[in-house]
Amino acid sequence: MTAVIEARGLEKSYGATRALDQISFSVEPGRIVGLIGPNGAGKTTALKAILGLTSFGGELRVLGLDPRSQRDALMREVCFMADVAVLPRWLRVAQALDFVAGVHPRFDRAIAERFLGKTDIHRSSRVGQLSKGMVTQLHLALILAIDARLLVLDEPTLGLDLLYRRQFYDALLNDYFDKQRTILLTTHQVEEVEQLFTDVIFINRGKVALSASVEDLGSRYQQLTLSAERASQARALRPFYEREVFGRVAMFFEGRSSAELASLGELRTPTIADLFVAKMQGSKMQGSAST
Amino acid sequence: MNAAVDAASDAPGAPAPSAARPPLAVLVMLVRRELWENRALWIAPLAVAALMLLGALVATVKYRLPGADLSDDHGTHEGMSMYAVAQGFVSTPLSAVTLIVLVFYLLDCLYAERKDRSILFWKSLPVSDGLTVLSKLLVALVIVPLAVFALGLLLSLLFTGIWELDAALGRVPSIPGWDLIGWLRAELALLLCLLVAALWYAPCAAYLLVVSAWARRSPFLWMLLPPLAAQILERVAFGTHYLASFIAYRLFGIWPELFAHMHFGHGRAFALASALDQLHLGAAFTDLDLWLGVLAAAAFAFAATRIRRYRDDT
Repeated sequence: MTAVIEARGLEKSYGATRALDQISFSVEPGRIVGLIGPNGAGKTTALKAILGLTSFGGELRVLGLDPRSQRDALMREVCFMADVAVLPRWLRVAQALDFVAGVHPRFDRAIAERFLGKTDIHRSSRVGQLSKGMVTQLHLALILAIDARLLVLDEPTLGLDLLYRRQFYDALLNDYFDKQRTILLTTHQVEEVEQLFTDVIFINRGKVALSASVEDLGSRYQQLTLSAERASQARALRPFYEREVFGRVAMFFEGRSSAELASLGELRTPTIADLFVAKMQGSKMQGSAST
Repeated sequence: MNAAVDAASDAPGAPAPSAARPPLAVLVMLVRRELWENRALWIAPLAVAALMLLGALVATVKYRLPGADLSDDHGTHEGMSMYAVAQGFVSTPLSAVTLIVLVFYLLDCLYAERKDRSILFWKSLPVSDGLTVLSKLLVALVIVPLAVFALGLLLSLLFTGIWELDAALGRVPSIPGWDLIGWLRAELALLLCLLVAALWYAPCAAYLLVVSAWARRSPFLWMLLPPLAAQILERVAFGTHYLASFIAYRLFGIWPELFAHMHFGHGRAFALASALDQLHLGAAFTDLDLWLGVLAAAAFAFAATRIRRYRDDT
């Protein structure tokens, strides 16, 4: 099956800073991909390249289209929510519905109306009068009603309280996602949404630090928790990161068999959040020696 | 481009690529959007019109209007002169306010959407940058001028009506002989002037859009800076002022040509109905500078489109 996104040698510099340093990755259809990285890692730049919002070097195909030259065609199939609060403050809710219905060939107004019906948002309100959570609900209503093949979300729930965040992801999963669609999502609240992801791409300092499906993570990475006395024994197996937790030591291994590790302590698959921290901190600890 | 679209749709399980909305329908939506966002575009002229109407009513009730000298009998054309006074009286403040509102609108429209980052919402929809820029030019050069023209027309008719009401009360002399054909010809002449103005000022409007799309802050200063700096440089370096004359020409140059044969009466309203014959429209429409300006406007509009497409500062 053709990849939804195929990036090869993607690069972009802002002055001397390399926001994207020759990165390559691909996203298959029907996946929910988490693009995860620390601040300034290049996540937003990568998303902007995918959406044709910025110039870049290298090869990039999104739904078979080149975002640089075929942006208009691409935007009929791709939907994105760049951030919270990009809806203009002067826009009325009814006007937002009218406008998207007027310009988007794949917008189903009934779906948006149904979703808005479950909220407290009035049709005559201006965006500037709505709370941040309501603005996000409105934007989500617009997005859910667009039958897009790729949905790109950049920190969609930043600054929202827990209830709104939960609602947001529930709606996304239950009302929107199906195997025809692909979602690419960046977020800082990894713990909250990691159940959502089918794939993760870690990106750090403009490079891809890890790109794998969640199933593969389980067979590739292990987290071993053991008492401090046995730590040196485990260290011989070269964990790429370790940290102390309540007097015990948590070690992270890549590519070790469970049999090797199980006798030393408590073995489990690390959560995506823990793995992310381990990967980022580990690469800092080992510097360029890390592989 | 089509080949790539087809290739994409060949992917198994992929829904057929949807056809875009017809560009004209999208353009209509974009124009409506401009009027939603920039309410000053219609509120300001309406407010001026309301004020003037109020003023006229108060003046009629409290004072006698200073009437034009209607005693000269020069036929029905001259008889329309009261109407001409009314229309001139109405359109001057209306046009002035509209012009100011339009300049600020053009300077702001591509700047504000970057400043509040709403450009990221607009760009998430399948609307091309070219159509977006076109919609703004259309609003500034066609939609708003036409609407204000219609408003001025309505207002001058109302003023004439008020005068006639006064005349019926015996306070002012009645307007002799309403000449429908003469009136229509005069309005047509004004409409053609509007068309000439739209074409002549198209490069100015498109220049403002470039500034609006480009400036990171204070587009108003950026509008003034390049022409001012260039003029000062020219003055210092060569001691000449060709640029200043050029800018003055681009701002006002079409009017002397258009009105070359117009005879303005001294202290008396000119014959409005014969204005069509007096306007030098042929010369204005065949003026090479007019069409070079339109070409420059197209180049500026293209530049604004490219800047909106690639400027990445959100």
